[in-house]
Amino acid sequence: MWKMRHFSHWFLLLCILIFINNTQAQSHVGKYDWLLPDYVKLQYAGGIGFLSAGVGYTFVHQRIDATFFYGYVPKGIAIDDLSSVSLQFTAKLIRIRLSENYQLLPLNFGWFIHHTFGSEYWIKLPSHYPPEYYWWSPGRNAGIFVGGELKTKWLAHKTPASGIAIYARIGTRGLYLASKVGNSSIPITDIIELGFGIALYR
Amino acid sequence: MGTTFKIILLFSTMFLISCEGLFDYSPYQIDFEGENKGVNATNLDRLLKTNQSDTITIAFTGDTHNYFDELVYFVDKVNTFPNIDFVIHIGDITDFGLPKQYLWGNGYLLNLEVPYLVLIGNHDLVGNGLEAYKEMFGDLDFSFVYQDIKFVFLNTNSLEFAYNGNVPNLDWLSQQLFPSNDFSKAVVVFHMPPGIGFDPELELGFYQTLSAHNNVIMSVHGHQHHHEVYYPTADSIPFVNVYGVEHRMMTIVKIYQDKIYVENEAF
Repeated sequence: MWKMRHFSHWFLLLCILIFINNTQAQSHVGKYDWLLPDYVKLQYAGGIGFLSAGVGYTFVHQRIDATFFYGYVPKGIAIDDLSSVSLQFTAKLIRIRLSENYQLLPLNFGWFIHHTFGSEYWIKLPSHYPPEYYWWSPGRNAGIFVGGELKTKWLAHKTPASGIAIYARIGTRGLYLASKVGNSSIPITDIIELGFGIALYR
Repeated sequence: MGTTFKIILLFSTMFLISCEGLFDYSPYQIDFEGENKGVNATNLDRLLKTNQSDTITIAFTGDTHNYFDELVYFVDKVNTFPNIDFVIHIGDITDFGLPKQYLWGNGYLLNLEVPYLVLIGNHDLVGNGLEAYKEMFGDLDFSFVYQDIKFVFLNTNSLEFAYNGNVPNLDWLSQQLFPSNDFSKAVVVFHMPPGIGFDPELELGFYQTLSAHNNVIMSVHGHQHHHEVYYPTADSIPFVNVYGVEHRMMTIVKIYQDKIYVENEAF
């Protein structure tokens, strides 16, 4: 039953996001509009939080995305709650126009860096250790993913958003890859971080 | 839009259902369940219910780090031996202290036919490894009496506690070794021997505590990955250094009439 509860939370947050977007419907063009993020995202799982909220910009004719996420894992899902931030870059290699209202981006490659908050998740080796005692940082991991996205024009006429997209991604991180190397006994599914989310484009 | 929406909804639902378990929230998410919780207590229960003979035979491994395949070979080999009472993993069952690595390590040890106990190692404490260890295995310091021998498991990973003066807990060790009616001799096991990572301020006290009552017949540790037997205390308590699992060698100790017999087996 607990898993159902997670999904209902997710949908509740989704509804809130859409609602907020609706209520802010205004159509003026401001001087600093270019500062506004090109999209906001809400992501489930993917190794960077139970739920993660992201904002980002798109570059190079919408082929490169840079997204900043704040992710949260509530207590109950883990024995202690976890807060983290991540920065990710995505290259959207293929864009297929399905119709007036739908675009499919089936091959998005991404790289991310993920920082979990808390003194035990240090980035720099604490001073009481001899130099290079541990080679990695528990507080900062990098990873890669590949994903797909379906961009739609749902809500485009009802909100200031130009469209809404759903996406999924499958990835892993350096520490998992380092664990998998030389260990055929570890199933590949164990090092996979699967996630999906929704994006609202400006 | 209606039809497309329904198709997307259908596929999304199928996707969600088929991929349950692949969704990962954080590398530090601890949500152990069932046989991945309270592992040492469960195994101790099993051990103390077994038929006891006049010889205790213990198979040691340790320092798994990222050699999980080798841990599988170890388990397979131990399962072919008829007379092992229990297995001790001497610590560092993980490399990065990640909950996932705890699950792999314990997942493989669960295939052992005999009871097993897992010590805390320094790598197991990185990140939120301390929480993961407590959740999966239990207390960092613990002891039990088996066939008149008291086995004392001691957290000696001082550096992971910033040399706070309480690790290893020498007061607790001293209490454990204080002679009593329920045991005659003692065996002390720990991950990290005196040296880098072991609180230098506590080194002398550690040796003195081990020797205080002349009842410790052996100390066993890991961390250094190689095997040797040496005698660092004034009263020559044998210190048995256990192979790292990557050498595909295990150390087997037999205890018979308070004497120890050390041999090594390839796997």
